Amino acid sequence: MALLTDVRLLAGALRAARTPLTAALALLLVLGALLPPASAVAMAHLVGRIQTAVPTDAPLSVMALPLLAFVLVLLLGHVVDTVAAPLAFLATARVDGAHRARVAGLAAAGTTIAPLEDPQVRALIRASRADPENWTEHTPGAGAVAGLRLAASLIGVAGACLVLARYAGWLVPALLLPALVNGVIRQREAATGIATWRAGTVDGARNQRWQHAATSPAEGKDIRVYDLGDWLTARIQRHALAMDAPVWASLTRAMPREAGQLLLVGVPLVAGYAVVAAGAAGAGADRVVAATAVLASSVAIFQALGWSEDLRVAVSAAGCLRATVDLADRLPAPAQHAPAPTADPDSTGTARHGTAPANGVDGTARAGQPVRRAGPALVRFEQVSFRYPGIGRPVLDRLDLEIRPGELLAVVGLNGAGKSTLIKLLAGLYEPDEGRITADGVDVATLGATAWRRRLAIVFQDFVRYHLPARDNVVLGRGDLPPDPAALAAAATDAGLAPVLERLPAGWDTPLARTATGGVDLSGGQWQQVVLARAHYAVRMGADLLVLDEPTAHLDVRTEFEVFHRLAANRGGASVVLISHRLSTVRQADRIVLLDGGRITESGDHDELIALGGRYADLFAIQARRFAADAQAAPPGEPPEGPPADPPAGSATRTAPGPAAAGVPTGGGHG
Amino acid sequence: MSGHPPAGDARTAAHPTHRYRRYLLLWVDLLVLSWRRAPVLTAMQFVIPAGMAATVVGGALALRVAVDAMIRGDVGSAVAGAAGAGVAGAAGIVLGALDSHTAGILIGKVAVLDLNPRIHRDITTLDGLEHLERTDVADRLTLVRNAGWEIVLSLWSANGVLFAVLELTVMLLLLGTVNPWLLWLLAFAAVPLWFDQRGNNAIIRADLATAEPFRRQRHLFDLATDPAGGKEIRVAGAGAAVARRQAAAWDEAMRVRFRAHLVAAGWRTAGWLLFTAGFGAALALVVYQAARGTGSAGDLVLAVTVAAALRQSVHTGVRYTTNVAAAGRVIEPYLWLRDYVRAERERADGSAPAPQRLRHGITFEGVGYHYPGATGPALAEVSVHLPAGAVVALVGEYGSGKTTLVKLLGKMYRPDSGRILVDGVPLDEVATRPWRARISATFQDFGRFPTRFGENVGLGDLPRIEDRGRITAAVREVDATGLVDRLPDGLDTELDAAFGGVDLSEGQWQKTALARAAMRPAPLLFLLDEPTASLDAPSEQEIFDRQMERSRRAAARTHAVTVIVSHRFSTVTGADLILTLHRGRLVEVGTHQELLAVPGGRYATLYRIQAEAYAREGRRAAALPDGPGPDGAEPGSHVPGD
Repeated sequence: MALLTDVRLLAGALRAARTPLTAALALLLVLGALLPPASAVAMAHLVGRIQTAVPTDAPLSVMALPLLAFVLVLLLGHVVDTVAAPLAFLATARVDGAHRARVAGLAAAGTTIAPLEDPQVRALIRASRADPENWTEHTPGAGAVAGLRLAASLIGVAGACLVLARYAGWLVPALLLPALVNGVIRQREAATGIATWRAGTVDGARNQRWQHAATSPAEGKDIRVYDLGDWLTARIQRHALAMDAPVWASLTRAMPREAGQLLLVGVPLVAGYAVVAAGAAGAGADRVVAATAVLASSVAIFQALGWSEDLRVAVSAAGCLRATVDLADRLPAPAQHAPAPTADPDSTGTARHGTAPANGVDGTARAGQPVRRAGPALVRFEQVSFRYPGIGRPVLDRLDLEIRPGELLAVVGLNGAGKSTLIKLLAGLYEPDEGRITADGVDVATLGATAWRRRLAIVFQDFVRYHLPARDNVVLGRGDLPPDPAALAAAATDAGLAPVLERLPAGWDTPLARTATGGVDLSGGQWQQVVLARAHYAVRMGADLLVLDEPTAHLDVRTEFEVFHRLAANRGGASVVLISHRLSTVRQADRIVLLDGGRITESGDHDELIALGGRYADLFAIQARRFAADAQAAPPGEPPEGPPADPPAGSATRTAPGPAAAGVPTGGGHG
Repeated sequence: MSGHPPAGDARTAAHPTHRYRRYLLLWVDLLVLSWRRAPVLTAMQFVIPAGMAATVVGGALALRVAVDAMIRGDVGSAVAGAAGAGVAGAAGIVLGALDSHTAGILIGKVAVLDLNPRIHRDITTLDGLEHLERTDVADRLTLVRNAGWEIVLSLWSANGVLFAVLELTVMLLLLGTVNPWLLWLLAFAAVPLWFDQRGNNAIIRADLATAEPFRRQRHLFDLATDPAGGKEIRVAGAGAAVARRQAAAWDEAMRVRFRAHLVAAGWRTAGWLLFTAGFGAALALVVYQAARGTGSAGDLVLAVTVAAALRQSVHTGVRYTTNVAAAGRVIEPYLWLRDYVRAERERADGSAPAPQRLRHGITFEGVGYHYPGATGPALAEVSVHLPAGAVVALVGEYGSGKTTLVKLLGKMYRPDSGRILVDGVPLDEVATRPWRARISATFQDFGRFPTRFGENVGLGDLPRIEDRGRITAAVREVDATGLVDRLPDGLDTELDAAFGGVDLSEGQWQKTALARAAMRPAPLLFLLDEPTASLDAPSEQEIFDRQMERSRRAAARTHAVTVIVSHRFSTVTGADLILTLHRGRLVEVGTHQELLAVPGGRYATLYRIQAEAYAREGRRAAALPDGPGPDGAEPGSHVPGD
């Protein structure tokens, strides 16, 4: 039953608040719920004393004790209320902290990223992330505490029923039954209302995306050039209305029903009160005392069982927890074939720093120091095929490729040829549909992701910009080993980071986000240097295969040269895979492979591929054409000389002859 | 010509009394807006709270009647009083529910239908770009862009404070009817109100003080759950380290906030202790009166009922006050935005029409521009004539001012000094919208709109956003037909990966942006800022060949000017005119051949680096020639200079 599931989920979430806190909070809330009926009774007793005191002229002292009792009950009510508030906050914080750690852990678990790209998983992550973006969302912590409060208020109802029973037994069902019926109706109203909001979350999220576009400088230029302001405003509003209009409609529809409560609540209340008052009028002190207590406490029964913000919060938070359950079902469980798990899954700063294997990532590797190996591995793609879900054409089609130890290999291909996919397969971020990838003859899948990835350093096109100190931005290049200051310094030198560091106000400790205290925003070029330092750090920490996916697309010529030469000089013995469209850079590689139609179609060094006259030669000719065209026209400037980059020369062999040379353009301007 | 509009600091701008006046004016404005949008719902925001106050007071009075009558044995009055109390109780419950519903609808409607569109239109239709690029201002926009709800809520929170105070006063006056001495409770009621407020302020301060770690844990959570960040985090084995930092940031924020909640609880307890002491004394007085026969047991019931309701009123009042105070977070930037927009719009837009065709060309006269907050000028004293019909290439190192020059042509900024003339008419005097309507532009960081592919392209010419034929032609124009063929739903393919769309690569996005720029039929000015940085060689070639054709065609028809920024000399050499920029200054102007002939010239040096890299035999390329290194001084770069 849905209600039971919600209760179970919310109760389960409370475990993270830990028993002593939960118990203390529950105790206070129950106490707080019982105090109103208690104070009604205390007041009624005072009334009784007055009633008997006036005609008998009793001394005032008989009033003192009940008065004191009443004041104490009142005071206790205030104190319980105020003390419960910080405890409720702490419980909420603990539950939400644990919940967010869990969701992040679920998303980080699993070696591949394919599940994270699944739209349904992304929708579930949005629903379960417990970071409210609007008033319809509530966190598990808030929901769990609201649930606790609702449970306590039920006990308060029981207390109020006891007060009723003291007057007359029949009063209990007469008031409780309509209150319960009303309560059920209100609960169902709340559930329908939340279902209506839920239906709008996709539009809500889209609304946010468009709002982001409206304030982003990138979209901002298009918005101005193409005069999209009014259109965009309308689009944002369209999504907002799609989300909110049904909610307004449902609230409007609910209003007559809310007014209808007047019957369900008002009739029993008025009738009950009238009967009680009539029965007690002139009927002796005890009767009057009991009746007074009834009159003072019955409304609370209807309040406790009726509509409340707590109910809405609890139902909404339960939805978030349901999404989390679905998410856990869809994502692989952390560390399936790991040995004894040494990682603390919800580490809160107490984890042994760096000695634990990566959280959730397949933990077959032994933790500890950088592994010393004889040298880089010979990596082979053997008949590897891969296709994206929902797209018919395979991106890679029985691809064979070697990355030889220590070589500087360039991968060239048209946009969309699958170069980036190749890298993701290499890193085990996708699993091949067919074929395998081996390192020194061993299938990397059997090495375990952690062990294999320790040998990799990858600069992705969309690298991560941590809003963390510069130091963390570099050492997180090898996050599962303890930070090594020597390697950090060396990596900074390798990447030429000094000029960037010099301009940071607090050096390595400067957060790289302006929103952080003392933080700064880096320019695109500066970020690129930081990320290169990150990759060099991983190399210093034991990685021996460095992969760069278009590291220089937006750099100017001179900077590109610097980056490339630095890289070639400082890579130690590591193999390097470079993806680039700039063939002037690519030509310096030991070996160049061309990716076309899902396979490697050409392989060799620059001279060999030019001599082959295949696709690479075409591509090169296209870029070189201009320069060739005016080689004669240019005055004979002195050819700049300098220390050449010096990668170890590999003996390149042509592995796959390219397609027949198709009319290689040979110079000559065009247009 | 004044360079930058006022962008005063919203946090320190207003003196308290001045601020309250501004808030009051805002609320009056919102009240008018609400009334126009939904008069009935607006009226209900006053009727319902008044009704709720009446049920509390009426219920207390009815109970007094009932208890006194019961003691007297007056059945009629007892029944009437009890029934009255029942009605009041039920009405209180119903009004509470209606209050929440009507407020929800009203606030939502005014926010979604009136206020948010106003904010979004202001942000997106300001001529300039500065408000989006300055990080300090961008923070405010991020706050305000979704703040309509919170801002409207603040009006009704203020209203709620008003009614809570009203209710408190009425209730205490009621007690005064029992014994005038009880009016002293008014003073005692102020104590918890004031202490509660102090406690709440401590919480608000703690929330602000911990905004940074809170933002950090959110950032790290988003990274860990996003596929893009997930890739790198997995490869680097950084999952545990990121999780640890996320948890630590959360704990840091919550520790401070919990402490503030404890402090608040302390204040509250103290406040209620004092109040209860006073109230206890008051009750003793009432009991004494009743026992002596000058009062009644009903008075006691009345006093007690009022006391219980009192706490509720104080809570409500404090909660609404907190809402109002918290809304300052978004109200301040909202008021700032209004002022900023007003100031911007007052700088009269030009009224001259955009020319049908260029006769003479575009002339820069001593143009300079300085990014707010930057250490040096982005452009200084640029004087050059771009002849009508010319293809002009901009060359220079990273941060040399190329993009700034392009943006000035698009009227994204106003020059700080000098002026730009279009056929002799200052660009400032040309109306912005018609001018931009004649521009086709692709920027380095172009827009990626979270929608379908076809719409992403069609946005380049809004009237024809549904014209599939035109969109297909634009796609063909930029050699992207193959890209569309491979998309699962062709033009209708969703591009927002978060909603099941296809994740385009950098190069594919670039083609999308280029197609968008190809939508407009007869541009007078083509702006291309690094349009092909991520494209493969054949695409780049194809796109440039076609762009040249387009440019030449347009030049023949309307003498259109084309401005291209590129690092790739293979695309620069064919230009009619090449401008070399260095550190914001124009250092060389000429044709390719002319600039190559400049001994030790900057263009010649940069060109030869590349030419060598392509031309030399063998795979070893030239090393870096000597020369000044690149220096970055672009917008968004706020690293303090030396």
